Amino acid sequence: MSNFKETPGYQIIQNWMEEKGNTPFSFQHQTWERYANNFSGMVVAPTGFGKTFSVFLAVVIDYLNYPENYKKGLKLIWISPLRSLAKDLAKAMTTAVEEIGLDWEIAVRNGDTPTNIRRKQERSMPDILLTTPETLHLLFSQKRNSRWFKNVNCIAVDEWHELLGSKRGVLTELAIARIRNLSTKTRIWGITATIGNLEEAKNVLIPYDVKTTMIRAKEKKKIDIISLLPDQVEELSWAGHLGKTMSSKIIPIIYENTTTLIFTNTRNQSELWYQIIIEEEPDLIGQIAIHHGSIDKKQRNFIEDAISNGMLKAVVCTSSLDLGVDFKPVDCVIQIGSAKGIARFLQRAGRSGHSPFERSKIYAVPTHSLQLIEVAAVKEAVKQNEIENRNPFVLTYDVLVQFLVTLAVGEGFKLEETYQLINKIHAFYYLTKEEFNWCIHFITKGGNTLNAYEEFHKVVVDDDGFYRVKSRRIAMMHRMNIGVIVSEAMLMVKFFSGGYIGMIEEYFVSKLKKGDAFVLGGRVLEMKQIKDMKVLVKRSKKKKAITPSWLGGRLPLTSYLTHFLRLKLSDALTPNNREKELKFLHPLLNNQHINSHIPKHDEFLVEMIETKEGFHLFAYPFEGRLVHEIMASLIAYRISQIAKRTFTIAMNDYGFELLSDQEIPLNEENINPIFSKENLIQDVTASINASEMASRKFRDIAVVAGLVIQTQPGNKKTSKSLQSSSGLIFRVLEDYEPDNLLLKQAYNEVFDYELEKVRLQAAFKRISESKIILKNAQNFTPLSFPLKVDSLRGTMSNEDLSKRIERIQKQALKDLK
Amino acid sequence: MIYKMHIVSKKITRKDAVLEITNQRVIFWEAQKSLILSDLHIGKAAHFQKSGIPIPKNVLTTDLERLKQLILHFKAENLIIVGDLFHAAYNKDLDEFKAWLIQFPYIKIRLIKGNHDRLSNAIYQQFNMEVFKTELTINSLKLVHDAVEKPTNSFIISGHIHPGVFIKGRGKQRIKLPCFQVTENQLILPAFSLFTGLNTRQSLQKCKNFAFTNDGIFEV
Repeated sequence: MSNFKETPGYQIIQNWMEEKGNTPFSFQHQTWERYANNFSGMVVAPTGFGKTFSVFLAVVIDYLNYPENYKKGLKLIWISPLRSLAKDLAKAMTTAVEEIGLDWEIAVRNGDTPTNIRRKQERSMPDILLTTPETLHLLFSQKRNSRWFKNVNCIAVDEWHELLGSKRGVLTELAIARIRNLSTKTRIWGITATIGNLEEAKNVLIPYDVKTTMIRAKEKKKIDIISLLPDQVEELSWAGHLGKTMSSKIIPIIYENTTTLIFTNTRNQSELWYQIIIEEEPDLIGQIAIHHGSIDKKQRNFIEDAISNGMLKAVVCTSSLDLGVDFKPVDCVIQIGSAKGIARFLQRAGRSGHSPFERSKIYAVPTHSLQLIEVAAVKEAVKQNEIENRNPFVLTYDVLVQFLVTLAVGEGFKLEETYQLINKIHAFYYLTKEEFNWCIHFITKGGNTLNAYEEFHKVVVDDDGFYRVKSRRIAMMHRMNIGVIVSEAMLMVKFFSGGYIGMIEEYFVSKLKKGDAFVLGGRVLEMKQIKDMKVLVKRSKKKKAITPSWLGGRLPLTSYLTHFLRLKLSDALTPNNREKELKFLHPLLNNQHINSHIPKHDEFLVEMIETKEGFHLFAYPFEGRLVHEIMASLIAYRISQIAKRTFTIAMNDYGFELLSDQEIPLNEENINPIFSKENLIQDVTASINASEMASRKFRDIAVVAGLVIQTQPGNKKTSKSLQSSSGLIFRVLEDYEPDNLLLKQAYNEVFDYELEKVRLQAAFKRISESKIILKNAQNFTPLSFPLKVDSLRGTMSNEDLSKRIERIQKQALKDLK
Repeated sequence: MIYKMHIVSKKITRKDAVLEITNQRVIFWEAQKSLILSDLHIGKAAHFQKSGIPIPKNVLTTDLERLKQLILHFKAENLIIVGDLFHAAYNKDLDEFKAWLIQFPYIKIRLIKGNHDRLSNAIYQQFNMEVFKTELTINSLKLVHDAVEKPTNSFIISGHIHPGVFIKGRGKQRIKLPCFQVTENQLILPAFSLFTGLNTRQSLQKCKNFAFTNDGIFEV
């Protein structure tokens, strides 16, 4: 349509932008035109270039041109992963609409929306609704909800790359499918940052037989990556420390810039770094804040506003600020420790220098020595423009079960129609009729086919063929559990005098005694009492306080990054001149070289060390934590076939450790078969069955599928008699219903055969082509030390339980003597 | 899943009473021909099912089969249940229990009520059991559901907390097992039902933990 520029809609927008002194970017213009030509599609653009206005204005222009195609009620549904984004987006859209002269109503609906406003929306829906995948599903669980979705012209999914790699992506796919079923002409548009698998991302979002297009912004963000080195390599520990000595380097950076975001990887580290910085520079108190997911929402909103208004010099944060509204004053980002991935590193860097033509600036601060190699690897990856994939989830039966019950709670559903709807989306493209029937059986009769549960009436078939939930209690419990974000059991922390501070995990609370001091939200607190799922505290003057640990949030390095790491390490002893990180590390690498070995690109290193703790085996495939978990239990399994053994397993992004109380029968003769690529998949399956990994994966599945009722923090326990743990249910199902699809899903999530098989096979192929080097070291080496101090461990054993206990007791007796 | 149980026991003597603690979650008190047990939580699976959570009902069947084997093995004539016999409201699981009881017309059941036992007295009467509101004293033994540490002349037996213990070994091994917690003055029973969790918090002072597996019982 060459005359698109002459349409009244385009003219109005063009004039409006001109008045404001803006010219559209070419990708915006392209989006508008494609939208006008009835395309669905995906916009790929860096933040700060007005990607919102590409899709949003496309809908406005189309409306101005063809108002007759737009009916009363919801016209555009805007899905975004973050609640905090919605508020500001709605403000920007409202301003635009008003200035353009439209009478559209724009509203936000999510978990924070007050009840009276929700009710008002339900009586009369706005023209544009900004919402989250979870909230859409909640809408589906309401009576007579289809009337709201009859005339939706466009569904836009913002930050699609964030949703794609999680089960929230599946929720989004399902939501789109249902809305599209009600408004058959709706156009689907995604907005995403650059990822490795853009084409796949588009196909997952729009699996339908419609015209689709991909629009890539040519504009690129310029990024400066600066690594911050200590004065001497000895100042950095080998592992297990915070890199506290680096604080003196960080303070001047904070002063040089207007506002600095300091990213850490865990909530625990953010609390610690906040303390370290104010200790080093007390003058910053009042100008520095802390922001993470367990801090009270009001406090977080306050901090976000303070950043926007330029009232803060620095904020210590976690991934809680990865996404979100643009903070204009932020001109510098500091990444402490590893960012665990190229995309995340770039995303964080992009939080600074936000306007289109500014540069982003990020300082990488290593917390232990090996991370310096990582910085070198990130730089290399950015230079070569390699960004990792976000892999979509498939065959998530737990999400399917939840969705079916959601429909049953809402208007009820019919079998064939629903199967057709589900079967079209990417996640369930390979769902068989049998599996679908199993899910139906699961929600209507309970467990397996032989054994219907008499007392189980969750979903009931009516005479008209509709599946419905009849019990109000079950409906209510289901609504409370809609969603796929599973958190640890959390307790609210509250001052005696009132006022919430944040949340800590039940697991951490269980170790706290009355009077203990701990840190939360940058404050030192004294635990006084636990009451009704609340921890009551008062301020403490104690110098020494424990920092809570939150179990969630350990991320593995992504595969591209590990690939670069391996390369960097292999030529670490002969770095080129520009790689100051590697040159700097020379003394440490030399230590590794002398005491053990530095694996070259065609070598694979295994270290054996005997200590007081027992017998250690360390191996360094450099494949990232997830792959190492599988490899470790596989190798443990193969060794235990030679002689029965019990291993505890630790892994990080570089390698893994097997630790046993008995000698590990591994030597030059059998090491090649142990690490062989033969029988790989059979052995992996056997080792997964022998480990606890599936049971751990089942935790989330049990909650999503409604087998475990999650208590919301702050709510009183209303259903105490329904409390159980996913571990218990896993065991019961393994005993009585081994063919349960949710169990199968747990095993699949440990090792996704489709997805990971290739990678694992490639890794073992590489190992088999390498020279395997077995070294007996006298003591921990720079490579093994970080593994030793890692506290997250799993177990794998093929020994008889009683024999194990007997030996432990004998050892204990020996230790006494 | 019905299997042949391997029963192993260990005798302890407290206040003249000889008690056999077993690896099958019960105490046998020979002098009284009594099995002492706690936390059966009958009706838990059906209660979950009623609330839309599909738990296999074989959970109860297995628990009852285990109890049957224990009664026959020890030739017991009495069951003393120190609380949480029934998990919640009346449901089909209780009917199964009722039907199961018919095979033991000679067994006398005494229940000390636990926090879960909130059914009306009429219902307990249907099961032909004697119900005690808070405690029952037999010779030098005092049986309660949840023990409070208070000096008394009797030896207190209770349940409620579902005790468990960690066994830690070289090479960072950790094994979690159910246990009996025993001191000079009191004993806490493990939960009898297998559909229960474990609580590893140590609640008693100077306490011995007797942990057990399918084929043994031992002090930790």
